[in-house]
Amino acid sequence: MTGAILAVDGIEHTYAGEVLALDGLSLTVPRGCRLAVLGSNGCGKTTLFLHLNGSLRPGRGRIELGGEPVSYGRAALMGWRSRVGLVLQDPDDQLFAATVAEDVSFGPLNLGLSGPEVRRRVAEALAAVGIADLAERSTHMLSYGQKRRVTLAGVLAMRPEVILLDEPTAGLDARGAELLLAALERLNAGGTTLVFSTHDIDFAYGWADRVAVLAGGRCLREGAPATVLADAGLLAEAGLRRPLLLDIAEAAGVPPGGRDEILARLAERKTGS
Amino acid sequence: MLATDRHAWTNRWRFIHPGEKALFVAGLLAADFALPALAVAPQVFWAAYLATVTGARVPGRAFWGVMAVPMLFLLAGIPALALSLNLDGAGPLLSLSPEGLALAAAVSLRSLAAVACLAFLILTTPVPDLLALARRLGLPPALVELAYLMHRLVFVVLERASAARQAQEARLGYRTFGTSIRSLGLLGGGLFLRSLDRGRRLDLGLAARGYHGELRVLGREPELSVKRLALAVLAVLVVVALALVQP
Repeated sequence: MTGAILAVDGIEHTYAGEVLALDGLSLTVPRGCRLAVLGSNGCGKTTLFLHLNGSLRPGRGRIELGGEPVSYGRAALMGWRSRVGLVLQDPDDQLFAATVAEDVSFGPLNLGLSGPEVRRRVAEALAAVGIADLAERSTHMLSYGQKRRVTLAGVLAMRPEVILLDEPTAGLDARGAELLLAALERLNAGGTTLVFSTHDIDFAYGWADRVAVLAGGRCLREGAPATVLADAGLLAEAGLRRPLLLDIAEAAGVPPGGRDEILARLAERKTGS
Repeated sequence: MLATDRHAWTNRWRFIHPGEKALFVAGLLAADFALPALAVAPQVFWAAYLATVTGARVPGRAFWGVMAVPMLFLLAGIPALALSLNLDGAGPLLSLSPEGLALAAAVSLRSLAAVACLAFLILTTPVPDLLALARRLGLPPALVELAYLMHRLVFVVLERASAARQAQEARLGYRTFGTSIRSLGLLGGGLFLRSLDRGRRLDLGLAARGYHGELRVLGREPELSVKRLALAVLAVLVVVALALVQP
């Protein structure tokens, strides 16, 4: 671990109409991690993400980016958003331009980059998510999975240090999810920090290297998936079920652990018997 | 509208500079209005049709589909032009004069040809390309930006509307006239609220990518070809010549 890229400390947020969405939430995002934010509907995941890129301002509490307290001036927000990208769940909320290449060029142009540099970044981002061939297509003639990858490319083209993804795999078919995750894995290997919310506990258990469990606008616990998701009391409090692999491990009489550990132990048993 | 848009994005002339197509259309329109209608309008009409169907390879059905609604309006307007109502004398008198007929024929032929020119433009050029052209020709950027966003969001709302309508139909919302009216009202109200909500989220999404009051994107810049510009002018001249040599 090389320190925290993002840290929130005791943040509170109340939406209009006195709905308390965040109630003293504290969470640290280590640099270079793949952090899954878990929780039932309405636990404050999306509200948290909107705080992490400065879209919403907490009523109380502190947010730090790269060890420095954040500020909300125009220039500061610009810098913040170029370092922390946000991919919304519904791609139609994010795609506004007529063609794929035009949409992806929006972020880099806002960074004040030159035309040739923007073109280079657009090509690079489209290649990174495997849709270079769609550059001149109209955004409303894409499939849902393609749209999701275009929104990711739109954020990638700004070369952020952290990408926040709201439910990255929701609504995608197996192939679409696989393509998206492959792109994310390449980014993560290159040092980009990933923070994503999900309802898919098996996905979080198998793919993330950190998980944070949210309930009632607070973070109940954060840590390695193998320890956090084995805590039955915690899962019950957050309204989550246990990962399937831990059920299997228990039924097979194999000690719990991370995904790879359990799979290795199960394989060992098979060859042993 | 969806079919029109699809052809605009996929036809053979999609990547031709919109300025070249616009020059062709402007030339045809000028000829259509400057020369005697009966002589020039049919030539203009067929020039636009051939450019669309033979040139850009848009199916003829799509062309006639775009023409259908304006043609209906024209048909409805013909009686009003051809007939004249005389209120003097012994009582109201409805009469059909040769001048009235000639006027009706001239006006409808001229309008039909003009509509065909626009059909060519809209079937071969995506709306954002036309907007980019309009911006270069001096339309205020704010106006162009607004139209650009509206064009994108129309499709989002359209998708929502058809999904919502299917959901209502599945629950028998359009069984009788009464329920249809009620369902349609609910659909409209729901879409309005959803659109407001979507607008708010679009703003969040854009802000996350550094939006600060100006929607700038890097468009393609197709080459303006002198050869094709010359061809457009030549095509217009041929139309004019055909109109003039007619008896």
